[in-house]
Amino acid sequence: MFKNEEMEINMGPQHPSTHGVLRLKLKLDGEVVKHCRPVIGYLHRGVEKICENQTFFQGQVWTDRMDYTSAVANNLGWAEAVEKLFGISVPRRAKYIRTMLNEFNRVASHLVWLGTHAMDIGALTVFLYTFREREDILDIFEAFCGARLTTTAFRIGGLREDLPPGIEKQIRAFLAKFLDCLNEYETLLTENRIWKKRTIGTGLLNSADAIAMGVTGPVLRAAGVPFDVRKAFPYASYAEMDFEVPTRTEGDNYARYLVRLAEMRQSHRIIQQCLDGLPEGPVMAKIPRILRSEVNEVYHPTEAPKGELGYYLVGEKGSLNPYRFHVRGPGFINLQALPMMVKGGLVADCIATIGTLDVVLGEIDR
Amino acid sequence: MNPTASMTLLQISVMAILQTIAVLIFIFIVVPLTTFAERKVLGYVQDRLGSVRLAGHLVGFTGWMNRVMWGMGRLPFVSILRGLPQFIGDIVKLFVKEDIVPEKSDHFIFRIAPAISMIASVAVFAGISFYPGALFTFPKAVPIVGGLPFTGFISNMNIGLLFILGVSSVGVYGIVLGGWASNSRFPLLGGLRSAAQIVSYEVPLTLSLMAPVILTGTLNFNDMTRKLSTEMPLVATPLLFVGFFIYLTCGFAETNRLPFDMPEAENELVAGFHTEYAGMRFGFFYLAEYINMIVVSALASSFFLGGPFLLPFGLHRFILHVPVIGPPSAIWFVAKILFLLFVYIWVRGTIPRYRYDQVMAIAWKYLIPFTLVLLMLAAIIRYAA
Repeated sequence: MFKNEEMEINMGPQHPSTHGVLRLKLKLDGEVVKHCRPVIGYLHRGVEKICENQTFFQGQVWTDRMDYTSAVANNLGWAEAVEKLFGISVPRRAKYIRTMLNEFNRVASHLVWLGTHAMDIGALTVFLYTFREREDILDIFEAFCGARLTTTAFRIGGLREDLPPGIEKQIRAFLAKFLDCLNEYETLLTENRIWKKRTIGTGLLNSADAIAMGVTGPVLRAAGVPFDVRKAFPYASYAEMDFEVPTRTEGDNYARYLVRLAEMRQSHRIIQQCLDGLPEGPVMAKIPRILRSEVNEVYHPTEAPKGELGYYLVGEKGSLNPYRFHVRGPGFINLQALPMMVKGGLVADCIATIGTLDVVLGEIDR
Repeated sequence: MNPTASMTLLQISVMAILQTIAVLIFIFIVVPLTTFAERKVLGYVQDRLGSVRLAGHLVGFTGWMNRVMWGMGRLPFVSILRGLPQFIGDIVKLFVKEDIVPEKSDHFIFRIAPAISMIASVAVFAGISFYPGALFTFPKAVPIVGGLPFTGFISNMNIGLLFILGVSSVGVYGIVLGGWASNSRFPLLGGLRSAAQIVSYEVPLTLSLMAPVILTGTLNFNDMTRKLSTEMPLVATPLLFVGFFIYLTCGFAETNRLPFDMPEAENELVAGFHTEYAGMRFGFFYLAEYINMIVVSALASSFFLGGPFLLPFGLHRFILHVPVIGPPSAIWFVAKILFLLFVYIWVRGTIPRYRYDQVMAIAWKYLIPFTLVLLMLAAIIRYAA
């Protein structure tokens, strides 16, 4: 009658905190996670293959729909990868605006992460606070390109239009209040005993494992590896920006939380610099109406909010569309480390760890 | 009700029914108010509106409700209560929803589990006293009960506290059985967590209530409240102060509220033990949770905050003979309950959730030793006084 066996439990794909349609097959001994296997693919649309049948201009629209919380960062990677493939040089003003919007997107993405992660741990209020600020960022996106979420913000060769009048005021108003808002979140969380108890020492990932698993982004930096594509392989106008790469050495959930908060402060700095040093000039390079590729290949890494987002494009002679398109999605590769991180922990730690990995299934499943 | 030898059996029965109905009315006024307050206070904490309208259509029942609420919003003062009718909408929704019983579940237990929770939490009120004496006396003209006092309590049991603790602990059976009978994994985990948590927290909760029992030397609810407020030496005040916070912590855990909402930790266990429940069966669990909150608040305010006496922690004896604020009143008692319910909501809006093992550690490693020390101090005070 009294059997002692492990219980296999399906967490997801419909579960309040698997952030979309992630499915975890957990083997539980009581509440302890003995084994975890992520099952993905519920949101697979074949973005890479679709893009191979689209022109280089059309492909960008699909990148919006990969990581839908950071569409601008995805757009930037695509635009720059195509520009690299065709050797197009982008005007300096366009690069500045791109950098600025990219950093806004980083903040917006981190705000979504912070809100949902806090909600997973039970702090309901932070979620609504972060979405309040995210709303302002989405308003800025809307003012810039008309769309809020799937922005398709940039064009190959620069920007479709310059910044609209009045947006500078909007941005400065946001910058003026944002640091206070960050402090507000921190008041609720950073020194909260329960928050610390829940996050410190859980979901551990050391630097060697992180590197071995190919983990990038804030998860890697929280494990003590100061790797940031913006510094290592500067793109857009990051080479001209003065910012730091925040790192922690603990590699636990709390470290990842602190790293992301620090990143938002750095993003604030970068946006400020972009806005203050915005050069005059055109925002669009002269490019042909039709881009026909040569036999060529390019890999372009960018630092998306979740980690290294790399676009690999192969051209075909005379073709309007890429011969091969591959995305190195940060979430997909970061998710590999999840079983390692949650093994031996409790179910509640598993939830917290999914939270700090910041997975977006649109990008993982593509 | 205080049955005396001069009352006939009919009079006793009718009075018992009337008093029970009065308490039930109180419960079913405070529960909707609490859910409404939860929406509004959380809304205020979270920088949003809270409840102002029903989702859905402009026609039919919801449309009518929305027009009522819209009208309320335009009136002065009434406008803060806009959204209160949403509770009616909730109840209607819960009643008209399909009552799903999973095919593979244990049907009988699945069906009675919500009732166990609900009955246990309502029955506790038989032992709770809102006011130690008669609220009013029926006029002679009233048939059967004419001339009899209508008291602020249903029954003045000598073992009142024991009854309350005993009956309220039955409620956990509803949760455990509901989780188990669902024959589903998330509810099972929720039910097991709940069993462990509530059984653990029952110990410090009871021990923290034993300090007042030792101080007063009685289990009678009315006597305890009166003695705690009017006859305690001043050294008991810090003890009651500490005891209040310990009791409240345990109370939060007993009622499965944040930061201890393990059984239904929605981000881990979907909806915990009531994942498989729908309609009014779910509604019973929901109501039971809110009624339990009222019970915990009522006990905390009786034994630590003075109950019907204004000043908390045994300080009331200094103002006992002051007019207006000196005599006990049911208003103070209800006000204290409402304040504690507000604290519940306030805490929910502010802090995250503990992890399951941490919840258990708090009970066994901190609260129980602490309450034992408290108990010892209470005994010393009692012996010395």
